[in-house]
Amino acid sequence: MLVVITGGSGSGKSAYAEEVLLALAGNRKEEINCYYLATMMVFGEEGRQKVAHHKKLREGKGFLTIEQPVDIGECQVKTDRSVALLECMSNLAANEMFREKQPKSIEEVTTKITTEIMELSRRLEHLVIVTNNVFEDGICYDRETMNYIKALGRMNRNLASAADVVTEVVAGIPVAVKGEQIL
Amino acid sequence: MKLVLGGYAQGKCDYVKQKYDISENEVCHGETEDFECMPGKKVYDKLHLWLKRKMKQGDDIPALIETFLKENPSCIVICDEVGNGIVPIADDERAYREQVGRTLCRIANQAESVERVICGIAQKIK
Repeated sequence: MLVVITGGSGSGKSAYAEEVLLALAGNRKEEINCYYLATMMVFGEEGRQKVAHHKKLREGKGFLTIEQPVDIGECQVKTDRSVALLECMSNLAANEMFREKQPKSIEEVTTKITTEIMELSRRLEHLVIVTNNVFEDGICYDRETMNYIKALGRMNRNLASAADVVTEVVAGIPVAVKGEQIL
Repeated sequence: MKLVLGGYAQGKCDYVKQKYDISENEVCHGETEDFECMPGKKVYDKLHLWLKRKMKQGDDIPALIETFLKENPSCIVICDEVGNGIVPIADDERAYREQVGRTLCRIANQAESVERVICGIAQKIK
């Protein structure tokens, strides 16, 4: 199953996404691989500490963390009895789009990430994807940033179209967008 | 009248074209076209950009909107949600968001249906 979870900053979408993945894993936690695909690029000591802290929190819940800030299709997940939480699309899109001096075009980055995620999704029993609702502030940013927002919008639409379930989290409350909600 | 709103790049116009079987030449575009272009068209897209232009010119927006509502009772209006961010410091940017919000409230009140598009998927909120 493919689940897309969106929401604003601090909406509680990450905590909800973790619960959704654990619910999908069900009572087979001992038998299956529960991956956390982390996409944040780590900079400096503060970043490393933050990552270490979050990693520890998740380990308590049985997550195996894979850091994959670019080339999401290359992450090494076992294809047998595996589920994963991918967090989050806004980081992945930025890392991929701006990884070289010349930013990737909207089409290129959208196609690359969408294709890689769809391929990854076929290798997993369940994939839960966290994305970010950065589309409603009405600000006209510089051209590069607008292109990035446009690309993220397209990826979200592609993933949501393929997803079985889409949920928007508002103030910690899951609101149904598509399909039957997991929780 | 139908109102379709949602964030930037969420696929609102694509959704409207598909759902209501509308072709590109039946769509008016707010970035350049005024309400006078509406006869023969079915959709007014990017109302927020029309509002931005009209505010710059100092036009009487509520009056123009009332006329539009009267003359186009069965059209579909598409507009970006622009109010879910930090309230801007600049006076004109703040006034713009306020105006878009107020205008959406007015049109939503009149509309028989209001849909919000997120990730290309519509939620009927009225």
